[in-house]
Amino acid sequence: MIAALAGLLLRAVVVLFGTALLTFALLWNSPGDPAQAIAMARFDALLTDDVIDQVRVEAGLDRTFWVAFLDWLGPLLRLDFGHSSVTGRPVWPDLSNAMGYTFPLALAALVIGIGVSLPLAYLATRRPGGWLDRASVAVATLGTAIPAYWLGLLLILIFAVHLAWLPAMGARTPAHGILPAVTLGLGVAASLTRIIRSGILEARARPFLPALRRRGVGSAAIGRDHVAPHAAVPVLTVLGLELAFLLEGLVLVEAIFGRPGLGSFLVTAIMARDFPHVQAVVVLTALIFVTVNLVIDVAYRILDPRIGGRDA
Amino acid sequence: MTLTVSGLRVVRAGRTILHSTSLSMSPGDRMGLVGSSGSGKSTVGHALIDDLRGQGHSVSHVPQSPDEALDPLRSMAFHWREAERALGGVDVDRAALFSALGIDGGDMGKRPWGWSRGMQQRFVIAMALIGTPDLIVLDEPTSALDPVVAAASMDLLERHLQGRDTAMMLITHDLGLAARRVSQLMVMAEGRVVERGATEDILARPQSVAARALTAHKSWAMVPC
Repeated sequence: MIAALAGLLLRAVVVLFGTALLTFALLWNSPGDPAQAIAMARFDALLTDDVIDQVRVEAGLDRTFWVAFLDWLGPLLRLDFGHSSVTGRPVWPDLSNAMGYTFPLALAALVIGIGVSLPLAYLATRRPGGWLDRASVAVATLGTAIPAYWLGLLLILIFAVHLAWLPAMGARTPAHGILPAVTLGLGVAASLTRIIRSGILEARARPFLPALRRRGVGSAAIGRDHVAPHAAVPVLTVLGLELAFLLEGLVLVEAIFGRPGLGSFLVTAIMARDFPHVQAVVVLTALIFVTVNLVIDVAYRILDPRIGGRDA
Repeated sequence: MTLTVSGLRVVRAGRTILHSTSLSMSPGDRMGLVGSSGSGKSTVGHALIDDLRGQGHSVSHVPQSPDEALDPLRSMAFHWREAERALGGVDVDRAALFSALGIDGGDMGKRPWGWSRGMQQRFVIAMALIGTPDLIVLDEPTSALDPVVAAASMDLLERHLQGRDTAMMLITHDLGLAARRVSQLMVMAEGRVVERGATEDILARPQSVAARALTAHKSWAMVPC
């Protein structure tokens, strides 16, 4: 177990380093002159070559690739994300401000997603093939097919424009978070419902269950001790992927609802060629991914040590 | 206490898969139920268990393979506790049962696949013996094991049952196994019991077509179990 954990950690570090290097290289080699883009973002005017060259030196764009990479990576290891090449301010305060809008939203979406899908899947599988089961599959399929931006606009139209119950744009009050959280959460719920449903059905078809029943084990105990753990294995797998969809959806949903979160932060940074900002978001996202997947991998091994393990 | 069932009948989807069957067993009896695949042996086993339980007898069941009895995600200790709880906290001498079946060396903290298959099956048999049931139904208990391990398991089970009131029903298509382990035989074909009697008689002078077909292959005399 300890060896397996060390292996997982090593893999996580390699993935993080690879992501950092790849992002840096991609941005470094992106077409166009970043110095010019930064200067435009800063001064918003017609520029002379002198000004652009000065920006190039200030932003450190005149260094060679490896020097620049190491100059960035060194402080990063001490959690220093550097300074914005547009505003010159440290990256971290702006980044953490953006995260303050995004993380609660992501968490709320996840809670809504799990809170809707778990009971729905459970109820649906009580009578497989029954009307509730078929309805849940239909709704879930529809839900997966509907893009977040369409659902978001629809919700704005209904709840903000027609009914005027909830605010549509901005992020001033917690009420501003309801529509974006529901938009994202329903998408998560749709795909999770399908996975949990099929997980439960598969778990219920396990060959040892009839023998347990014949042994006199009650159905509540069978559900709790045998069906649930077996159903959890595929759900865990998908939860990691679900996070990817969630982050993807966040960028769109933040744009639709005009929230100043990580998504807007990233889009603005890309437009302005603010490399330190872009790199910070990518590294942060990679860190979240790697951490979540690490936790899932460990949970897997606790649940079923046959996965990737050597001994019982 | 004699175990008696009469008029056992199973209809599934409008088709009779078990025609009216009656049987009675005395404590300590060893009964074999043989027949080709699909003849209705397991159906008799399940119907018998349900009927006898309904009468208030304790009956346990050992399925064909340990995969059909043990959850791969749960430890052996968990399975054992669960079986004890299901039987209502009867007094069990686990150590004695385990040493009788030769699995006292097994690590209870491991999951089923951490044990050999032979040990898993003997663990399942041990679970079936919790509380000394009136009848233990073994449904093809050795077909998932290699012959030597299977013979050893059956020897251990037989030795444990000796002097106890637990009757045994052995469901098998393996006549060699039945010949060595049971004193009475019931031969099944197409959902009916077509022949019954003492094991030697049926083996020596099979009357029904099904019994003759089963005994025609003399190779059953060669296998060790």
